[in-house]
Amino acid sequence: MFLGSHCNRRQALQTAACGFGSLALAGLAQAAATNDDPLAPKMPHFAPRAKRIIFLFMQGGPSHVDSFDYKPALDEQDGKMMSFDDARIIANTGKKGSSQRIMKPLWKFQQHGECGRWSSNLFPEITKHVDDLCFMHSLHTEGVAHGPATLFLHCGSTNFIRPSMGSWVLYGLGTENQNLPGFVSIAASTGNGGPRNYGNAFLPPVYQGTALGKAGGPASEATIRNLGNRQVDVATQRRMFDLTQSLNAQQIQTHPGDTELEAVINSFELAWRMQTHAPDVLDLSKESAATLTQYGIGEKETDNFGKQCLMARRMCEEGVRFIQVTYGDNTANPAWDQHSNLPKHADHARAVDKPISGLLADLKQRGLLEDTIVWWGGEFGRTPYAQTNGTGRDHNPGGFTMWLAGGGFKPGFAFGQTDEFGHLAVQDKVHMHDLHATMLHQLGLNHEQLTYRYAGRNFRLTDVHGRVVKEVLT
Amino acid sequence: MILKQAVRQAARVGLCVVAVLAGFVPCWAEDAAPPAPRLTAEQSDFFEKKIRPVLVKYCYECHSQEAQTSNQLKAGLLLDSREGLLAGGDSGPALESDQPADSLLLDALRYETFKMPPKGKLPADVIANFEAWVKMGAPDPRSGQAPVKPQGIDLQAGRQHWSYQPLRTPQIPTVKNGNWPEGNIDRFILAGLEAKGLQPVADADRVTLIRRVYFDLIGLPPAPETIDAFVADSRPEAYALLVEQLMSSPQFGERWGRHWLDVARYAESLTLRGFIMPEAWRYRDYVIEHFNTDRPFDQFLREQVAGDLLPAATSDEKARQSIGTAFLVMGNTNLEEQDKTQLRMDVVDEQLDAITKGFLAQTVTCARCHDHKFDPIPTRDYYALAGILRNAKTLEHANVSKWLELPLPVEPELENKLRQHETVVAEMQQQVKAAQSLAKSLTAAASGKVSVNIDVVAAKDLPGIVVDDAQAKKVGDWKLSQSVRPYIGAGYLHDLDGEKGTKTLTFQPDLPKSGLYEVRLAYTAGGNRAMDAPVTVFSADGEKTVLINQQLPPPIDGRFVSLGQHRFEQTGQGFVIVANEGTKGHVVADAVQFLPADPGDLAAASVSPTADKNDPKLEAAQRASQQQVAEVKRLEKELQKLKAQGPQRPLFMSVQEEAKLEDCAIHIRGTVHNLGAIAPRGFLSVVSQGTTAAIPNNQSGRRELGDWLASADNPLPPRVMANRIWHWLLGSGLVRTVDNFGTTGEAPSHPELLDYLATRFVSEGWSAKSLIRQIVLSRTYQLSSVASPELAKADPENRLLGHAYRRRQEAECLLDAILTTSGTLDLQAGGSTIKPGTNADYGYQSALTRRAVYWPVLRNSLPELFEVFDFPDPSMVFGRRNSSTVAPQALFLMNSPFVQEQARLAAVRLLRDVPDNETGRVDLVFRRLLGRFPTATERTTALKYVETDASAADFKQQQTQRWSQLVQALFASVDFRYVD
Repeated sequence: MFLGSHCNRRQALQTAACGFGSLALAGLAQAAATNDDPLAPKMPHFAPRAKRIIFLFMQGGPSHVDSFDYKPALDEQDGKMMSFDDARIIANTGKKGSSQRIMKPLWKFQQHGECGRWSSNLFPEITKHVDDLCFMHSLHTEGVAHGPATLFLHCGSTNFIRPSMGSWVLYGLGTENQNLPGFVSIAASTGNGGPRNYGNAFLPPVYQGTALGKAGGPASEATIRNLGNRQVDVATQRRMFDLTQSLNAQQIQTHPGDTELEAVINSFELAWRMQTHAPDVLDLSKESAATLTQYGIGEKETDNFGKQCLMARRMCEEGVRFIQVTYGDNTANPAWDQHSNLPKHADHARAVDKPISGLLADLKQRGLLEDTIVWWGGEFGRTPYAQTNGTGRDHNPGGFTMWLAGGGFKPGFAFGQTDEFGHLAVQDKVHMHDLHATMLHQLGLNHEQLTYRYAGRNFRLTDVHGRVVKEVLT
Repeated sequence: MILKQAVRQAARVGLCVVAVLAGFVPCWAEDAAPPAPRLTAEQSDFFEKKIRPVLVKYCYECHSQEAQTSNQLKAGLLLDSREGLLAGGDSGPALESDQPADSLLLDALRYETFKMPPKGKLPADVIANFEAWVKMGAPDPRSGQAPVKPQGIDLQAGRQHWSYQPLRTPQIPTVKNGNWPEGNIDRFILAGLEAKGLQPVADADRVTLIRRVYFDLIGLPPAPETIDAFVADSRPEAYALLVEQLMSSPQFGERWGRHWLDVARYAESLTLRGFIMPEAWRYRDYVIEHFNTDRPFDQFLREQVAGDLLPAATSDEKARQSIGTAFLVMGNTNLEEQDKTQLRMDVVDEQLDAITKGFLAQTVTCARCHDHKFDPIPTRDYYALAGILRNAKTLEHANVSKWLELPLPVEPELENKLRQHETVVAEMQQQVKAAQSLAKSLTAAASGKVSVNIDVVAAKDLPGIVVDDAQAKKVGDWKLSQSVRPYIGAGYLHDLDGEKGTKTLTFQPDLPKSGLYEVRLAYTAGGNRAMDAPVTVFSADGEKTVLINQQLPPPIDGRFVSLGQHRFEQTGQGFVIVANEGTKGHVVADAVQFLPADPGDLAAASVSPTADKNDPKLEAAQRASQQQVAEVKRLEKELQKLKAQGPQRPLFMSVQEEAKLEDCAIHIRGTVHNLGAIAPRGFLSVVSQGTTAAIPNNQSGRRELGDWLASADNPLPPRVMANRIWHWLLGSGLVRTVDNFGTTGEAPSHPELLDYLATRFVSEGWSAKSLIRQIVLSRTYQLSSVASPELAKADPENRLLGHAYRRRQEAECLLDAILTTSGTLDLQAGGSTIKPGTNADYGYQSALTRRAVYWPVLRNSLPELFEVFDFPDPSMVFGRRNSSTVAPQALFLMNSPFVQEQARLAAVRLLRDVPDNETGRVDLVFRRLLGRFPTATERTTALKYVETDASAADFKQQQTQRWSQLVQALFASVDFRYVD
């Protein structure tokens, strides 16, 4: 709130001047009336179709024309020089039209599922779920380089300091389980915006994402910081905790009725509960062997990402609002960034294919897919033509594919089209702002009303853009 | 205009309003009310059949009266009436009567600049109909209204807003309780309270007061002995003396400088790529020094905007002033932005945001795309200011652009020494280079590889990693040739001097390790060759293209030309592309060589698998090679030593005047590729009373900007700074929105007091210390933080300041207090504190015992304690910090190894200082941490907790543990984390 600590939620209601969009106020105020806690579950703007999001971030930009966007013209015209408006060249020089060599997909396309979706054998396991997936083939976004595009994907802005989507969602809906953070980013990359991709920016700090581990790191390191005290046993920890709380209880008596001081005491209670509860959630040893196998855990190539996906499911069950799992690394040219050596896509695909397939099956089997949005994709796609060196593809923010599953997205459905080569989105275009708006919509949030007042004006995730793509919703 | 780009920019910049479709203003319709048209039957038929249905179906949703009514109108454009069409939208005139084909309406339908309708391009025949219609003169039978144009900004009305009003010297109010005030500040406060029938609470007790004033002025806790001395000092001037002593201590600037660093978005690295800015610390020290020396604030302000341009009597002064300008370079810039025109304006925008929020508490950057929606700031003013900053070169542009580091002005004596030293170093570098070169050839010989003189050699016989043309990945038709010698392998390739722009060769090495390599291209020269063959190196640093004149003989060994030294990471990109784009003449490539810059690595990388290890000649060569490698190492060490020993030429971050000084055009909708009228450089109209001098043509305007900021007719800076100081001392500003004095900000609770403080600030020479002293000595400042029941009821937010605010300790105060308690605090001042050799900030761990202000502010790796305790995001102007209470803080205090270790050190120190008096030790630990004695209950609780079985074998250990745990619990306690 723009008046910070001196204007708490209760005062906000008294003065109605603390920055919610006026329409949002009605919904949020209702929840606020019963609870001052900024993380308490809040009423959405309207009945939601989904309660939470799992975002599987394929960092670096997987190639849509080699995976889910089938373009026979690429096979037919392979090797031919043709004129394209290359996004990087336009950004660098303003020049449209450049001679580029068509490069056919390196993986074979076939029709799959009852819906007859074309997809390549790059992701054989995910492909088995096409009847549950909703493809958006006409995504387009901002930013030609990784840094800007990654920020845009997460925060809806390339250059400005803005809250990330998870923070907006947490701000809008609160969390269902205060024993865990409401917004976690598993294996977040430190590169390309790093903490800003799960940052709260000007939203209150309670809405910040919690990073578990870092990109490319082992799943075993993906844990909440300072969750335990290795130096002393649990009984001693309890004694210390009681000592702290008894000192606090005595000290706040000098300022009776001070809610902020009470909040300090509450924060310790919550920390204690988190410390007791969270390790169980992160502990995969209680899962059955069948489940572990389903996620590819125990197999060398899929073990790590499998564990991270399984962790995501466990948090999802526990009511965590926004869970991101990143497959990437911390370099300036992250994982899927095959400017040269496109066949390397196969390694990345192998690492994520079975885990994601396992996650989808597991969520479905547990009935969680109903109210969970699974969102898959990268910060952009790749060009249908070869990069200068001939073995890879450059970034393509002008047209690419993402898919969603569950949460009221039409299963076995495909929306939008790129041109005949898969270069630019041409039909039923979906801008990243539109996708953000659509996902918020499924969570029961109106993207135009989910606002926050900062520096004299209202901000939102979708800036002044965004269209709810109703066509893809059940 | 680069059409598509404009849209992309619009979408990116799009701060507040959607940029969709530009205006349609035919020149034949200049009059506001064109005569009603009379359509021929044919025209009418055409319109009704081919045009209207399309407009209704695809356009009206966003461009009609109905859309306007429901607040859905986009781009201020109405397409449901002739008037609307003619009046156009936000982007200004777009149709030339003689060139109707260029109409923006058609442009949008054709998906050129704009893309309408947004869901998909209309079929070609529909677009052709529109073209035909426009050609006819766009006959349109519809009548209706033009869109309601937004009113221009009324500056006269805007000046009525309180913050733009000239400063006034207010009358000092009279109060009923004349005994209470210590000075005028108190009279204003008491008058406010009395007007509501209220009274201030009692003064804070001496122990509370000294702790408060210590943290407020120097950010450190008072030692128990200091507290005792103050409590015992009954002289009436005891408090004033204490204040004076604190304000003259060097720690004062460290505390107050940090406040300003929040405003200045100070950081030592950038988010993207985590680049370290190694010279940023100079600005931090400059700010600290400013507060310690109390130079006039108006001068401080000028220096941060234009210090590099100000006259200076000495080189020291010149240096100091210049460092101040680093303020402009602190932004968290996206150096990777590929559109450099965009990047340039983004940098300007960021600077403008920092200047106007920081000094003026104005949200000027809202006016980048359109007139400010709430404040009297027209877009023209934005670009008048932007023009000034656009004349300051901030970045050197490249694929990844770079900020500027310039040599710091130094005294002539030092300058001489530096020059001498640099000459010696240069000579030494020559020696090293020669030795390296010899080492290379000896190594080559020793590895059984032939040296340079045979004209045809195999790639494996050359040092380093050599990718021959035979291994290159070819795109297009390349011909193998052996016509010109010397060459490597079976020959070299050329592009047949044909199909320019379509052929490339990619040389991808298998590098044994990450590191620095010299990259060389081998080619054969000739008169028929290209003079500008583009060769691009893709490395960890990005990509760099070198144009090679292949008519000239290769300079190295008659074989190679150097492409420079490049850093490669084993997992990252690393290859070289030879292309024939844009060339005339044959493009030739023979091989690419990667030579490790470290000769040791070179030797390792060059061992030939085929060499005969027992060859005595080879053995001798190997000895020679080893000796030479050792010699290189020795020389390099010597060079390093020489460099380290000699005087260092100091660098600093700054901006430079652009070569071409010019005004900036208004960017329509903020898009860099859609320029409107020129906005002559200038300042905020609403604050300028017409007395400000114009900016001379031969000046960038930055100096003038500094002068205007500090000018007598600009009431904002003194008000803003007085309010900031008040906020930093009292915990809440008179205007609580300290960075926003616009109409969406809050009005001052005590407008007369604010003007009183601001006018005093100016009249006392813009002295921050003087203002701080006045406030700290006021009785208002010294009040107890416990509200009376009357005040709590009548003024729950304490706007009338009937009592002090209890305040959350900031991250730095917590850290400094923890280090003080453990006895490890190191008060060394200034200097760079980033570990030498750090290139990127990812995963950086700070472990210093210096004051928090000296811990590196790295945007991707803030110290955990900072992150948890609301250290401000160093990418934004932050005049007022968040104050959150969240579980991660509790987890940090309970479990972080850092806190545990500090608690242990504090316990050891306690046990040493008070060896055998448990109660005395409990009292001391409370006083060290909280400043006060424990209450009886606290004492009992603590004593009970530390009880240890004295007969136990590990008694000492247990005792230390218990005491550590007590200290840790006190670190976590409310009274440690708050100041009363």
